[in-house]
Amino acid sequence: MKKNKKKNFNLILGSVLLAITLIPAFVGLFWTPYDPETMNGSLKLAGVSIKHIYGCDNFGRDIFSRIMAGSGITLLVAVGTVAFGSIIGTVIGAFTGYFGGIVDEALMRINDVALAFPSLLLALVMVSLLGTGKYQVMLALGIAFVPSYARIVRSEYIRIKNLDYVKAAKLAGASDLRIMFVHILPNTKTVLLSSVMIGFNNAILAEAGLSFLGIGVQPPDASLGRMLSEAQAYMFSNSGYVLFAGCTIVMIILGFSLLSKEIR
Amino acid sequence: MGRLLHVEDLNIEFHDHLIPETVVFDFDLDMDEGEIVGLVGESGSGKSMSALAIAGLLSRHDMKKRGTIRFGETDILGCPRSELRGLQGDEICMIFQEPLTSLNPVKKIGWQVEESLRIHTKMTPEERKERALKILEDVELEDPARVYDSYPHELSGGMRQRVMIAAATIGNPRLLIADEPTTALDVTVQSQIVDLLKKINREKKTAILFISHDLSLVSRLCERVLVMKGGYVVESGPVKEIFENPKEEYTKKLIAAIPKMNDDMVPIKANDKMIEVKDVCVSFTRKKGKTKERVDVLKNVSIDVKEGEILGLVGESGCGKSTLARTIIGLQKPDSGTITQKYPNTQMIFQDPYGSLNPAKTVGFIMEEPLRNLTDMSSEDRRKLAEEMIVNVGLTSEYLDRLPSELSGGQRQRVCIAAALMLKPKLIIADEPVSALDVTIQAEVLKLMRELHDRMGISFLFISHDLRVVHQMCDRVMVMRSGVIVEEGERDEIYAHPKHEYTKELLKSAGISFEE
Amino acid sequence: MRYIVKKILSCIITLFIVSLLVFAAFALIPGDPALSRLGTNATESALTALRHQMGLDQPMPVRYIKWLAGVLRGDFGMSYSYSMSVTSMIADKLPITLTLMIYSMVLMVIISVPLGVYASYKEGTVIDKIIQITNQIVMAIPPFFSGILITLLFGVTLKMFTPGGFVSLNRDPVRFFGFMFFPALAIALPKSAMVLNLLYSSLNGEKKKDYVRTAYSRGNKSKTVFFSHMLKNASIPTITFLGMALADMIAGSIIIEQVFGIPGLGRILLTSIQNRDYPVVIAIIMLIACVVIISNLLVDIIYRLVDPRVE
Repeated sequence: MKKNKKKNFNLILGSVLLAITLIPAFVGLFWTPYDPETMNGSLKLAGVSIKHIYGCDNFGRDIFSRIMAGSGITLLVAVGTVAFGSIIGTVIGAFTGYFGGIVDEALMRINDVALAFPSLLLALVMVSLLGTGKYQVMLALGIAFVPSYARIVRSEYIRIKNLDYVKAAKLAGASDLRIMFVHILPNTKTVLLSSVMIGFNNAILAEAGLSFLGIGVQPPDASLGRMLSEAQAYMFSNSGYVLFAGCTIVMIILGFSLLSKEIR
Repeated sequence: MGRLLHVEDLNIEFHDHLIPETVVFDFDLDMDEGEIVGLVGESGSGKSMSALAIAGLLSRHDMKKRGTIRFGETDILGCPRSELRGLQGDEICMIFQEPLTSLNPVKKIGWQVEESLRIHTKMTPEERKERALKILEDVELEDPARVYDSYPHELSGGMRQRVMIAAATIGNPRLLIADEPTTALDVTVQSQIVDLLKKINREKKTAILFISHDLSLVSRLCERVLVMKGGYVVESGPVKEIFENPKEEYTKKLIAAIPKMNDDMVPIKANDKMIEVKDVCVSFTRKKGKTKERVDVLKNVSIDVKEGEILGLVGESGCGKSTLARTIIGLQKPDSGTITQKYPNTQMIFQDPYGSLNPAKTVGFIMEEPLRNLTDMSSEDRRKLAEEMIVNVGLTSEYLDRLPSELSGGQRQRVCIAAALMLKPKLIIADEPVSALDVTIQAEVLKLMRELHDRMGISFLFISHDLRVVHQMCDRVMVMRSGVIVEEGERDEIYAHPKHEYTKELLKSAGISFEE
Repeated sequence: MRYIVKKILSCIITLFIVSLLVFAAFALIPGDPALSRLGTNATESALTALRHQMGLDQPMPVRYIKWLAGVLRGDFGMSYSYSMSVTSMIADKLPITLTLMIYSMVLMVIISVPLGVYASYKEGTVIDKIIQITNQIVMAIPPFFSGILITLLFGVTLKMFTPGGFVSLNRDPVRFFGFMFFPALAIALPKSAMVLNLLYSSLNGEKKKDYVRTAYSRGNKSKTVFFSHMLKNASIPTITFLGMALADMIAGSIIIEQVFGIPGLGRILLTSIQNRDYPVVIAIIMLIACVVIISNLLVDIIYRLVDPRVE
């Protein structure tokens, strides 16, 4: 009974946090209270007011509108990254794990080297190869995420391929491809789902990190990380800007990690 | 002799769900000093819970215990933790089913064996070590000094259980509780451990509460036995009396489930070979430290299965019997030798019914899979055949839409058999098909296989470590050891007049008498 | 001992592979460094001369071998953007970043290990729950935001340090370490939360193991079971994680250096990436690879000391 209560608490808090952050992000795709790019000299670094509930930035742009738009871009990049990383990673992991052999050895050696590096650093290298901008960041982070998914999926395949039900499927005449994707893949669901959830958080963090360093999403696109780095310069005169942008990131990540805890 | 243990009206309840669940009802037990009592029941019968309560190890806060447990003068349920600790490891000791996980993996054996002495006595380290080496020798471990400095993973299963026994008896306890101590071990090792427990009881006058699902094992060790089912003690009394004159239905069923040696089955004498295995060799390379090591699993094995027979293949774990099965079925390529099959579609049933059904697929999907891949039957025809076969194994067609996780172990094994029947094979290879099941379920599954044999004319290659089961099922028997068939022949011949030393040892371990 | 030698050899091979991959990746990027340095209206002859001077007219394998030979002598080549050798550009920055990394590693262990052990020991109590909730929140804070929050709290509000007031080690060691505490804390906090979480859950996982029941059956006190039986077992996965965390710390330092205005490797790396100054980028990546591989080696050795089951 106690367990259920705790579960509900995590579930409710997680959903509330995500509702607060994600609903404005979705609405922001179609409508924002003010145009996030329109500057207004008279409102430079204006504080919190009824008209501008989060205040205005150094160009007099409405912070709330910018956060709505920025969350959207951050989430878009995260979704793209995880989709790219997990699909490519799953295919590589499935083939190497199931078949083994020299190709597997070689790929995993490269994979180990790649995994030893922090994913942000890998992304930095990728960005310096691919250039900056939101699609480049998606691709850069996606590639940087491939090794970790490949490893997770590979070890699942290695574990499962030796189980009796795979042998039974072989005896039932299933081809290798059928065994890999019809018999084994559904059984990696739990592991894959939880690593997608974790990966989603990591993608948000990595994008925010890159954009914070100025080599991620480029203006006029505003992502949460980009806004934080702009806001940092003015944190002594208007600390609200930094706090609102930063807390939005924290709330999204906390929300997802609470939810993923329950899904596991 | 004095009264050692008195348990009266013990009830155990779990409170981790909304509705409290009682797992033990009104458990009574009296034990005298130096007595051996057996506690028999299948998984979930409450036997382990009762034993843990007696040892004072059920201290979870979501659990309620009522009743009395009196050990000597101490009230186990009522006394404070500190007093209980004084008894545990000193007067009451316990050994568990899985010796590998029951030993701390990162501590040396010596440290663990001496632990009770460290806690309960003021011995110096030298005295402790001397005692530990002595007790390791007492439990018949070779080279105690080496074992003393080893880690658990460096020992074999039987050695680990001996170490557990040594650690439990180092302080000469008055009561030793053994919770399924032989279940995870090979038959020959099992009987050595039982003999060792007997010796300890005889020499040190330690009372033993022996918990097992195996009634025949209990009958070899114990004078008195309690039978548990669903949390209740259904019957208790002297072993002999219970065996000869069981009163309760459940006890009768348990005894009936023990494969008998005197059945009236007439072995089939068949001649036509349906499978011929000739001089098959299989080896694996295993990395051992820096060097690669070649392990020969099968050494020039030749067997044939004749039409309509049930051939038994007996051997202990690691002897190569499963590899042979996989080689015949084509999952493993032989290094040399030939396998000739007269009929196609030979099928296989695996040991662990939890691992052999894909947890993500429904029973129907699993059963239809071979038809989907190997025939061009329409989906209606496939479904029809699946319905027919599931009824053949004693289930109903509703089961086709269930997931394996919704089935019990016995039902799963029935589904595995039904799936094997889908291609209408002439031969099914069954690799330890019942050893993961409870005894009464074992009997049902064996009966089903026998029925299929009689009714549908299916031959079986029946692989097992259990000589009694093999005797009950098979017409002809082969004994395998370290990749070699050491003996083969008609069932009655092998069981009555074994020729090979190893066959004799196996029969002795299983408690089967034969003519020397 | 033989194992360690073998392990070191394999580390050197890994480094070699990394260098090959990184060098190849940067050599294959489209674009002409000579052109970008001289501008689009440079004459063809000037470009050819510069390409020759930069060694770009030679085939890739030759350039790689020349570069590698230089690296082994401690020479990473010349920067494209500044007429300086790469080595001299990064030589005095490396110690700053390494200090920050080690500093935050130490802080991380000091924060996470005692709290994780304590929370698990007191599982189910109010203190445990407070630690858990705080931990959840801290885990969700990105390192650069934790840096900003620390600046706002300790720098602006409590005036415990001057934001942006970095002092080099040679000028004033006391103020250097005093200032570096805050960026190190910013890196360490989110990572500590992860270590704490891992240690906590592996300790709680150990509680359900059979050997713990055995230890109780011998009359051990709960405290003895916890500290002398479970702790060592639970530390095994944590050690692996610490190794990975070490690698992450260096990425953390790069970002945090920007927040606190520390002139470390991070700043050169970023400007070099923006200027496409590849020799500098490659050199820094190789240095980080070295740090990561060495720390993995250390973790591996510690791991073997703790877990007897590893071959």
